[in-house]
Parts: sequence; structure tokens; C-alpha cells
Amino acid sequence: MVIKETRWFLLNFLKLRNPIFQLPPMKSQLLRNRGQMKIQQTAFMLIAVTLFFVLVGIFVLVFMFSGLRQSATLLEEENAMLLVTKLANSPEFACMSSFGSSKLSCVDADKVMMLKEQIDKYSGFWGVAEIKIRKVYPTNGEECDFGNYPNCGVIELYSEDVNKLPAVSNFVSLCWKENSDSGIYAKCELARLMVKSEDKR
Amino acid sequence: MKKGVLQISFGWLFAIIVGAFIIFLAIYGITKFKGTEQEALDVKAQEEIGILLNPLEMGFESATSTSFATASESRINNSCDDEGNFGKQLIGISQKSFNKWTETDLKAGFSNKYIFSNGVVEGKKFYVFSKPFEFPFKVSDLIYMTSSRETYCFANAPGDIKEEIENLNQTNLLIGEDCSGISVCSSSNCDIRIYSNYVKKGNDKLYFSSDALMYAAIFSDPLVYECQLKRLMKRVEALSLIYSNKASFVEGKGCDSEIIGDLDLLNSHAGDFSYSEYLLRMISIVEGLENSNDRSGVCGLW
Repeated sequence: MVIKETRWFLLNFLKLRNPIFQLPPMKSQLLRNRGQMKIQQTAFMLIAVTLFFVLVGIFVLVFMFSGLRQSATLLEEENAMLLVTKLANSPEFACMSSFGSSKLSCVDADKVMMLKEQIDKYSGFWGVAEIKIRKVYPTNGEECDFGNYPNCGVIELYSEDVNKLPAVSNFVSLCWKENSDSGIYAKCELARLMVKSEDKR
Repeated sequence: MKKGVLQISFGWLFAIIVGAFIIFLAIYGITKFKGTEQEALDVKAQEEIGILLNPLEMGFESATSTSFATASESRINNSCDDEGNFGKQLIGISQKSFNKWTETDLKAGFSNKYIFSNGVVEGKKFYVFSKPFEFPFKVSDLIYMTSSRETYCFANAPGDIKEEIENLNQTNLLIGEDCSGISVCSSSNCDIRIYSNYVKKGNDKLYFSSDALMYAAIFSDPLVYECQLKRLMKRVEALSLIYSNKASFVEGKGCDSEIIGDLDLLNSHAGDFSYSEYLLRMISIVEGLENSNDRSGVCGLW
């Protein structure tokens, strides 16, 4: 096609300069029509080539950004895994020494209930999509509020309305202060601190 | 036909122009793509550094030094934003590629981290260690970051500081006067001068209330220190409110609530905090709270 096209352009070019190359009117008309056809073909070809490159570009960009999203999700997951071990010892959760000696992986339920009250302030603070603490027993306990606390099963601290990855969890001691005839004492139960990160894929 | 005149058909001319345009677009696209890819790698590295620092904040690895290295020569930009509920720790990375520093405006932000270092830390190997900041309850673990290229020489350090630095076993923190690097001491001929409640760097006085903040003042730029301190005070404000509410809650179980007044006072001071000298006004409240909590026994809040 390129050879034919070149021949046509060459002929057309020479025709303008040398009368020898002047063609009879009928043939000239035919060539002009064929020429226009060729121009259209070239134009279509160029549009097709441009479209091809644009599509390849879009494909590459989509591929690149899907890789970025994958990386972002992996980083979120990694953050959640490390955070779940860290969270129980962070000041908003940790028992510190309020239940006797300093304990690791001990969550102060009284403090967490107060934190739940002002959780809006902590939105996005830990960079995860959901945090909840579920007592190991009873397994189907209802959600904790000030009406049923501490006789409840789950403290749902916060949950964002996004797609989430499966929860990453860590076992913790969930402790609170109880009152009895003999005075105030610390009561602890086994619980799971669960963290979900956002699925950005 | 004239001799010496280049005869190029319209078709060839057209093809050359369009071809050149397509090649130009392809080169431009590849350059942009490479830039974006580099930027993405930088942002990924920033996020990874933030995540790598998580174990330092566990609370049980206090004053333990660790290090991390980057694949190529890097500049870690440590900045801080004190806006919002807790402000943000911002980490930016630019890496040396083909003898040129990559530029990125994107920074990874973390609300729950406090990194104390110079504004720009340059090198391939970086040291980090952490210490808990208590005011009087634990507020956070402070992270101190230095480059292996910067050496700090602690001369005439008090016994406990000397012991702590020796235990860190961090090769760029040295004890004694016979070392070349940034000198840290209490006399006036040192680069960083430590006094009873402030650290002097040039003409800047950075006030502190505990060893954790003293290290923070030593290792960071005044701008970073003041901003991070403001962020820490925002956390103190939130935590003091949680403890105050907890005190009211456990009062119903038979605990004493005299601590609430001081907690509310701390909350109000933390809310008004604007620069490090303000710490001096808060120290007596903090000490009072610490004593009250220690006396509370089983009713202790923290």
C-alpha cells in the first residue's frame, strides 16, 4: 500500500511540474478520485495507529495502577498485622499498671468503653478500617454498651463503611474493675483483638 | 528537474512528521511513566518505613536500637503537620537515581507516630530507637532516627544517660570527648548544650520534661521538635479526657474521684499548648497526678 501510495504522490507531484506527465482528463479524474480514496485510507490508518497506541497506553496505565492498588492493599494488610500486636499495648487500650503489675497484651475494657465514647476523634488514627474486641466466651455475646457492660461479648470500637480484608486477630486479656462485698478487684477474661484493613483492590 | 533539490514526496514528508510525532509521544509517555513509577516506589518506601517502625512502638522494646538500610542513597524528609485532632507524622523519601535526587511531593502520613530527627536525614543506613513518653500516663513511644553518617558525642553525660546510650549499642552514639561529630554536653562550647530543663541548639531553646523529650530535643530540628510536641499534647488532651471519664465511671464502683479535677486541668493545659516552654507550667500538675494515681492502689487509672 505504501508503494502504491508513494507512486501516486510521485505521479501527482511530477504532473504539476512537467506537461509530459499530464494525463487525459478522464484518467486524471479517475486518479483524483483514487487519490482521495488513498488520502482517506491514510487518514483512517493514522487514526487506527493513534487509537492503537492510546489503547496500549491505557492498558499499561491500568496494569500499573492495578499493581499500585495491590501494593497499597498489601501495605494495609501488613500494617494491620503489625498493628494488632501493637494495639493492645498502645495507651488507649493498655492496662498499664491499673490492674496490679504492668502486663503485656492486656486491654483495659473500662478505658476502651470510654474511648468508644469519643471514637469519632480517633477516625483514621490507626490507619485500619475496623477494630473490635470479642470475648472468647461466650462466643455469641451481644455488643457492649453502657447498659449491658461488662456482661456482653463484643466491644465494637469502630468500623468504616469500606471493603475490608479478613480480620487479623491477637489474643489479649480483657480486664475491668468489678465490685464485690470484699471490695474492688480486677476481673480478666480472654478475648480476641480483631483488626480489619481496607481492601483497595 | 532542478539538480541539488531534495525531492521528497508529500507522502514521505507526511509520514516523517507523523512518525516523529508518534515517537515524540512515546518518549514523552515513557519519561512520564518512569517518573510516576519512581514516585510510586518512593511512596511505597515511605509507607514501608512507617510500618517497619511499628515494632518499636510495642512498649516492651524501650531504648533498643535497630537499623534499616535503603537500596540506594536516600534522603528521608521528616516533617509534621499539627492540624486536626492528632496532627500527622509525614515521611517523604527521595532516592538518588543516576546521580540525581528524585523529587516527590507525596508523603506518607501517620497519625499515631512521632519521629524525632532532623528535617532531612541523608544516608543509606539509618538508626532508630524508641523511648516511652509518660505525662504522667503513657502517651506514646517516641522514635529517634539518625543517619549512620552523623555521629553524636556525649561528653560528661550523667550516669543514667551514659548507661542508656552504652546499652543502645548504636555505633553513631558515642560517649566521651575524644570523638569527631556533633558534640552534646552541658558546657557552652558544645554544638548541643543540655541544661536542667532545656536543650540549647544555636539560639533555640527546646524545653523538656523527661529523658524521652530530652533525646527528642537532641536529635531533632527545633521545628520538628516543637511540632511533634504539639501533636503529643493533642494526644495528652484526648487521653486525659478518657482517663477523666474512666475515673467518673469507676467512681460508681466505689473508687475515689479526687483525681478528676487534676485530669481536667491537664486536659485544658494540653489544649492550650503552643510551644515547649509551656511544659514548665504543666510539670506540677503532672507530678500531682502521678502521686494521686500511685496512691489509688486498686483504683489506679493507669
